[in-house]
Amino acid sequence: MTHVVLRDLTRRFGGVTAVDRLSLEINSGELVAFLGPSGCGKTTTLRMITGLLLPTSGDVLFDNKSMITVPTEKRGAVMVFQKHLLFPTMTVGQNVGFGLRMQGVEKREMQRRVDEMLELVKLPGFANRRAHELSGGQQQRVALARALVVRPKVLLLDEPLANLDANLRLEMRELIRNIQREMSITTVFVTHDQEEAVMLADRIALMFDGLLQQYAQPQDFYQRPTSARVAHFFRNDNLLAGIRRGAQVETALGTLEVDADRTQQPDGKVLVTVRPEDVRLMPNPDEGNCVEAKVLLQVYMGTHTQVQLDLAGHTWMVHSPAHFQAQVGQTITVQLPRSNIWLLPESAS
Amino acid sequence: MRWLSLMEKIRAPLMVFPAVALIVLLFFGGLVVGLGQSLGYFPAIDSFELTFRYYGEVLSDNTFFESLWQTFRLALLSTVMSSILAIAIALVLRNTFRGSRFFTFLFQLSIPIPHLVAAAGIVLLVSQSGIIARAAYAAGLIDAPRDFPVMVFDRAGTAIQLTYLWKEVPFIGIVVLAILQGIGPQYEEIARTLGANAWQRFRYVLLPLIMPGVLSTSIIVFAYVFASYEIPLLLGVRHPTTLPVLAFQSYQDPDLSLRPQAMAMSIILTLIAVVLLVAYKRLARYAVNT
Repeated sequence: MTHVVLRDLTRRFGGVTAVDRLSLEINSGELVAFLGPSGCGKTTTLRMITGLLLPTSGDVLFDNKSMITVPTEKRGAVMVFQKHLLFPTMTVGQNVGFGLRMQGVEKREMQRRVDEMLELVKLPGFANRRAHELSGGQQQRVALARALVVRPKVLLLDEPLANLDANLRLEMRELIRNIQREMSITTVFVTHDQEEAVMLADRIALMFDGLLQQYAQPQDFYQRPTSARVAHFFRNDNLLAGIRRGAQVETALGTLEVDADRTQQPDGKVLVTVRPEDVRLMPNPDEGNCVEAKVLLQVYMGTHTQVQLDLAGHTWMVHSPAHFQAQVGQTITVQLPRSNIWLLPESAS
Repeated sequence: MRWLSLMEKIRAPLMVFPAVALIVLLFFGGLVVGLGQSLGYFPAIDSFELTFRYYGEVLSDNTFFESLWQTFRLALLSTVMSSILAIAIALVLRNTFRGSRFFTFLFQLSIPIPHLVAAAGIVLLVSQSGIIARAAYAAGLIDAPRDFPVMVFDRAGTAIQLTYLWKEVPFIGIVVLAILQGIGPQYEEIARTLGANAWQRFRYVLLPLIMPGVLSTSIIVFAYVFASYEIPLLLGVRHPTTLPVLAFQSYQDPDLSLRPQAMAMSIILTLIAVVLLVAYKRLARYAVNT
């Protein structure tokens, strides 16, 4: 149970800033996902937490104690890499017991804890196998057991599911979540897969180009994105330019009513957004905010129908019930429910 | 069809036959002739009886055992020291630093240079009239060049060892370096986050990974040093000399009756080398895995 603070963490490689003044707190026992596209600085951040990479400036604190001068081997921040990387010269048992052996733990105690861990990752009786005799998923579970057995202060997972097939990935997600909850280990998880982050994390830190964009609970990235770019990463490209005046936004489609308490954008130029699943194709005229839209495309997706609309020159995507039917080119009335409207800063468009 | 399938079966053996024949003929042919002579079958001196007499003569001579010890000592020391130095240098050279490519090139430079040239170079460098002795004298560190410690033709075989080191360290080193570069840094990084200090990372992670390479190259070095005669002949003392030199001297003696003894020595040398190589391999594997 370790409380982690990253304070103004910056790392430059030559002229390139990989991580730029990153500040955030991770509560004890919390599972945080660092999310972002390749090269956004998430793995660099992870390496700085372990100490494998020193920051150019800034600080890493475990329980309010600076870790900058503490070498990796003494930090207790254990990393599980993308490639399973079990030590090929050792058996599964020796791999899992590696950290304990380094600590000089007595042999019988080591054996007991190794067996306990293999049980936890559902690989009992595998201790005498060699790494190459295991499947990819089994190797990844051994790597996880090897990290957990030393009871790390912080567990760092660098895209540990990236090399697994879809079914295994689901299984591993569940396993990681259960073990993390059971052991209450502060965990940081790097991924570029937003679905994975949403399913696993208590909180998500979304990064672009080395900068932290938003650090919040998963649902906030859907309901309260901080910018159009964040909304786009979470598959929402429905944007409409407007000017906010109090509880109203003037747009090319007319005046829209907004929930003044829900949105923090100041008066002035804004971008109106409603998530694809929140736009109503069968409006209730009593609730207002009905606008005209032209159907550009509709694709039956099984569970729903995806409808592409033209709203005053902006292309919007809407998820309608599967039975929805309209003609391409037809003008229909859609409703942007007041309680689902979110306003984004105009500059971030 | 049957003809075709037969051809298919013997095609590979047929293709490797010339190379294998050459090896069998040269190596086993020589070995069989040597074995015959060591057992007394030597038509050139009208000797046809098969006997272990020459082995008995060799094994009852104290000189043989002194030479055997000298040979073993030189081979083992050269191999162990070369391996340790090679691993140490490879560990440094695998890091990228200013001039690392140049140093890697420099490190490999001695590989194509013949052992004899290396021996001559070492004599020029470390003998009492050599460059280092004269430099030390010029710098006032010693009163006369003869005060410089004897390193050539000494009983310890210092110049012999230096020659082997100069030649064999890069040989083992480039193999270790290639393995290290293939391994990458991640195993060590994992070990590090799991609490392993620098020594533990080397001992438990890197060493087992590079050991197959170190073993195979150091076995070649050991076998070479154990059986080579030119360097001890040029740079070593006459007594005790190494077994290959002893055997070669007996072989070259105008008295042909000494030839069976030379051959007995060579056969014993071969047998000992094989036994030592097997033991060395087993011992090194055991040491790494425990």
